[in-house]
Amino acid sequence: MRRLIRIALLFPLLLAACATETTSRAPDVHLERLKTFYVARLPADDRGIQKLICARLQQLGYRSTWGDARTPPSPVDAVVTYQDRWMWDITMYMIRLDVQVRDGRTGAILAYGEVMRPSLQRKSPQGMVEETLGEIFK
Amino acid sequence: MKQAARNGIASVLIAAAALTAGCATASRPDAMVATPATIVRHNDASVSVEVAGGKGTSAMGESQISNDAFAQALRDSIQKSGLFSAVADSGANYKLTAFIGKMDQPMFGFAMTVKMEVSYTLVDTRSGKTVWQKDVASQYTAHPSDAFVGTTRLRLANEGAARANIQQALADLSTVSL
Repeated sequence: MRRLIRIALLFPLLLAACATETTSRAPDVHLERLKTFYVARLPADDRGIQKLICARLQQLGYRSTWGDARTPPSPVDAVVTYQDRWMWDITMYMIRLDVQVRDGRTGAILAYGEVMRPSLQRKSPQGMVEETLGEIFK
Repeated sequence: MKQAARNGIASVLIAAAALTAGCATASRPDAMVATPATIVRHNDASVSVEVAGGKGTSAMGESQISNDAFAQALRDSIQKSGLFSAVADSGANYKLTAFIGKMDQPMFGFAMTVKMEVSYTLVDTRSGKTVWQKDVASQYTAHPSDAFVGTTRLRLANEGAARANIQQALADLSTVSL
């Protein structure tokens, strides 16, 4: 019985992964030319991640607003979309954040960033946003 | 009672192992080649293909679509459709760029749905002008009846989403007068 419990306790360790960061830009895209942003709230998001992204973009020196609509109310250089994934391990935590930077006119994706952090390397939602945007705009 | 608990734990471990076992394998180009759609216009021009935004697959990670695999599937799909007269490595009349900007993959589950978004741009290599641009979103669901092992099911969902994406893109591109 004890042996079985030990195996059961070891199982999560086998599933534990390392933190990963991925980013990519479309060919010939110059993100440094973007000045104004609109963050479109993910309809399923009731945690206010769009506000964190918007605030971080402002901290980085960009003009940024957010809203519920997929398209901005006034023209902007870029629209930001995102998907956040949450997991439970003692408490809820954000395991993954994907952010896409889109052309403000066409909606085409210009760049994306993804950060995944399993339970043992978890960060706050603010930390996840900072890390993901940091990867995209570095 | 003890025996029942032992059996219960063993069942959970076996079920978990079955759901998670298997190394991730990369999406295969031949499985992403689109079925030729009805092509409105055939062009005499040649095209080259460049893909960005794809990811490599590690055995312990999730199945992904690499730039090379998607480019090969895109090239084969164009050739199969007859949309352009030739697909060249360089010196072509047009350059088709595909940026895989979004791959929304489930972390686990029985029915696995992958949502994908690719931004395509076709540039006239002589004038440097963009003649066509399209953001194509697609998705595909793989069921346990398709593959019991989760990593294989995810690969099938990737390939299905990519196939649908290329098919939509080529169908739209074929309506453009070049």
